[in-house]
Amino acid sequence: MKRTIKWIAVLLVLLLGINTGCSKQAPDLKQITIAEQYGLAYAPLQIMKELRLLEKSDANLLVNWRQMGNTAAIREAMLAEEVDVGFMAIPPFLIGWDKGMEWKIAGGLSSSPVGLVSNRSEVSTIKDFTESDRIALPQPGSVQHILLSMACEKEFGDSHKLDNLLITMAHPEGMNALMAETDVTAHFTAPPYLTGELKSKENRLILSGEEVMGGEFTFIVGVATKSFHDENAEGYKAFIKALEESISFMETNKIETVEILSNAYAISKEEVEEYLDTQGVEYAAKVQGLDKFADFMKRNDYISKTPASKAEIMWDDVYYED
Amino acid sequence: MMCIMKIKKFIWIFILLILWQITALSGKVSPLIFPSLGMILKAMVHAIIQGELLSQTLFSIAIIIEGLFIGAILAFVLAIVSRMSESLNSLVETLITLAHPLPGIALLPIIILWLGTGRASIVFIIVHSVLWPLLLNLITGFRATPKVYSDVGRNIGLNRLVLLKEIHIPASLPYLISGFKIAWARAWRALISAEMVFGAVGGKGGLGWYIFKQRVFMDTAGMFAALVVIMLIGILVEEVLFERVEVLTIRRWGMTEK
Repeated sequence: MKRTIKWIAVLLVLLLGINTGCSKQAPDLKQITIAEQYGLAYAPLQIMKELRLLEKSDANLLVNWRQMGNTAAIREAMLAEEVDVGFMAIPPFLIGWDKGMEWKIAGGLSSSPVGLVSNRSEVSTIKDFTESDRIALPQPGSVQHILLSMACEKEFGDSHKLDNLLITMAHPEGMNALMAETDVTAHFTAPPYLTGELKSKENRLILSGEEVMGGEFTFIVGVATKSFHDENAEGYKAFIKALEESISFMETNKIETVEILSNAYAISKEEVEEYLDTQGVEYAAKVQGLDKFADFMKRNDYISKTPASKAEIMWDDVYYED
Repeated sequence: MMCIMKIKKFIWIFILLILWQITALSGKVSPLIFPSLGMILKAMVHAIIQGELLSQTLFSIAIIIEGLFIGAILAFVLAIVSRMSESLNSLVETLITLAHPLPGIALLPIIILWLGTGRASIVFIIVHSVLWPLLLNLITGFRATPKVYSDVGRNIGLNRLVLLKEIHIPASLPYLISGFKIAWARAWRALISAEMVFGAVGGKGGLGWYIFKQRVFMDTAGMFAALVVIMLIGILVEEVLFERVEVLTIRRWGMTEK
């Protein structure tokens, strides 16, 4: 018994140690960590990185870049205060906001075509899916999943109708699975995977994001944590400035842009050009379509509340269009 | 003795729970990282009432039982084969050496290529994680049978099958049971990881998929609720099922200490 008590004491001491050790120190004022994902939708960030626009915007700022495989990982890293600014689609942002994460949108990044591609000739709308079909997409709660659910709500009156066909795959794996004609018969994705898949004759687009949303919407937004925004106001301002500069650089210096992107993504210049000219591809700091996502997600219990005001979900100066 | 051991276990669990709660309530960690016991319990009750947690659990258990069953049959067959001749024995041992160290999750990409992402693939992974430890224990068990037992058996004219049934299997039962314990734990791990990768297999997806969904929708308490379910099932099987089997067999036969 004495030994047991001793052990409990040791555990308690350890625990107290952990508790005090865990308390978050104020973030180093001179650092910013930015997390992005893969794909051309993040192109302005490659420009920012390559031209060191953020470093130029604030010479005292130490800039760290992290590339992560999925939104959930970015969200978790931001929760753990390892990442200050993360780039993701609107639905995963809203899920985090709804669960009480202290973060807000700092600005839009890009709009992009997204679509559901099927390789089965019998499938021409989502109504044609059967129990044996499998739909690959990045993960439940991703913008692709929410768009699919929106289409299901319209078509079947039940947003969860196709949830039992889902399989989670990152875009490249999803594309491989679809092209290799495995049991994956449909893939909800974005360029360059979307355009790549549609080049093959067997594949066809059965649903597009714009069609579901009834208009354009922002695909990727930049999200900043409250602690970064409040405690490093200078750094935050510098980041917003660099983001705007990156986007306007892409508009004014097309040739250089194509060169930088071609190197950054290891694809040919022609492919980059083709992508930038794709209908629906746009880089802009304005945020579009947030209300539509929020209303749908609230209506179908993906989130418990909708933002009452713009200030609840956006830092100052975000240009927002309904 | 047993009883005191059990009470001690419960005391430890209780202490760990208290420590958990103190940490959660200390206010130093976000509930999104470290939810309190109340939140986890609430999430669990909610998930049970709503029905999904239970149906996913049953779905997972059904797959595990299927995998365990197939794995056990294969293990028996291979163990018997290995006793038929020296060269067959070396074949089986080679198979074990090659396959046993392979984690099921490392095989996933290949299994997806071969069998797709359906139920069959998950069963395959479970069979893989069950078969080798079970087979290894069975063979060790057969070998550990005192030679005089089988000599006596042969003397009174038992044929190979009866020898196996009456002497080798009972004598190797302690090994078999510990093999099943390992197999069971490995099967759970393989199942959960495979389900997290595969998605809504068979229209449901099981506990692994459930945990993954809670993660992407940031329901940390719900995630822990599913983990608690996994632990509870583990405790039930370990402390109740295996315990019963041991009491009824090897302890009654006086083959083990406790």
